[in-house]
Amino acid sequence: MEITTNYQDQVAVVAVEGSIDALTSGDVSAHLAGQISQGYHHMILDLSQVEYMSSAGLRAIMEGLKTSRQAGGDLRLAEPQPGVDKVLRMAGFPSIMKSYSSLAEAAASFKD
Amino acid sequence: MNPPKNNRLALVIGSGAVKCAAALGVWKVLNRAGIKVDLLVGCSGGSLFATTMALGYSVDECIELTQRLWNRSITRKRDTRSFLKALLPQVFKFDERFGMIDDHAMFKNLRAVFGERTFTDTVVPLYLLATDFYTGEPVVLDRGTLVYALRASISVPFIWRPWRIGERFLIDGAVSNPLPVDVAIREGVELILAVGFETPAPRRIKSISRFVFHLNSVMTNNLYRANFAFHNLAHHAEIITVLPDFTQQVSLFDTQHIPYVIQQGEHAMEQQLPYLQRLLGENHSS
Repeated sequence: MEITTNYQDQVAVVAVEGSIDALTSGDVSAHLAGQISQGYHHMILDLSQVEYMSSAGLRAIMEGLKTSRQAGGDLRLAEPQPGVDKVLRMAGFPSIMKSYSSLAEAAASFKD
Repeated sequence: MNPPKNNRLALVIGSGAVKCAAALGVWKVLNRAGIKVDLLVGCSGGSLFATTMALGYSVDECIELTQRLWNRSITRKRDTRSFLKALLPQVFKFDERFGMIDDHAMFKNLRAVFGERTFTDTVVPLYLLATDFYTGEPVVLDRGTLVYALRASISVPFIWRPWRIGERFLIDGAVSNPLPVDVAIREGVELILAVGFETPAPRRIKSISRFVFHLNSVMTNNLYRANFAFHNLAHHAEIITVLPDFTQQVSLFDTQHIPYVIQQGEHAMEQQLPYLQRLLGENHSS
């Protein structure tokens, strides 16, 4: 799994490539927490290159969401692929956080 | 977040009638890869497959047994007394023992396949889910005669009347817990393969029974998602979801689709296999 981050204005765009599961979710959590501690409270998790997500991955996203909101920001999802989107929907994520079909839409949502 | 601390593996098969046969596809992949399951949990239709697997039958035997068990013969005869009770509740004394289908044929099939075997005859520990009719609580069945536990677990609301075990009136496990991963978590398993299905709704709503089944499907599916969400987020166990895709419509008794359903289960499991093997490898090496 690889994590890369770029910054658009005050929004950290965290792109993950690979799986977010029990073997990798700790790195994702630490990375999201790191962005918040650097002052990037608004984050987008780019899921376009994530092929699989297990329960540990869901918990990592939830943790990132809680931490960002506690800091006054938000974590939003971009481009979840069908398999990952299915798991996110089953776990009720659409009712608690915002998800967009493209990165551009997710970025624009922070300007609204 | 860390990998699971132990390498005990549970296979949880949720409710879903014929779709539950996808678990046989999962089983095939696990067998091919030499991966042993330490615990089996079944709910409703999933109970039938969990039980045949727990008894040590081969995949082909499981398919054959399923076709003997679950076919249209079990729905042919209506439960006349229940209909009379519904029409004239005072005269025929309506009570909780209501079901539209006579359960004798289904019970006979269960007996023919499982005989008098009990939970102690299983080669893998087995847990079956039912629901207490009065309190709505999930009830985990793990002792006694398998046929009775199965009969309780598959008491589909409105179709088959509740089944009494001891002092409890039991109905379909799907009413309280359609994908019971929590049973495996309670047993201390940290690595769970969860094979789940949404309940199909009738294609057309053209009778009161279909209207009722539609509402039942809506409620069961919402419960399925809510439970899944809770258990994924509230526990530290690693839940690997195996969600077969069905492009063909598979209804309650479409047993002719079993080969297709198994194939879809096999395909879904193959996608998760590399990750499962990595996790098991990590645990073996630690």
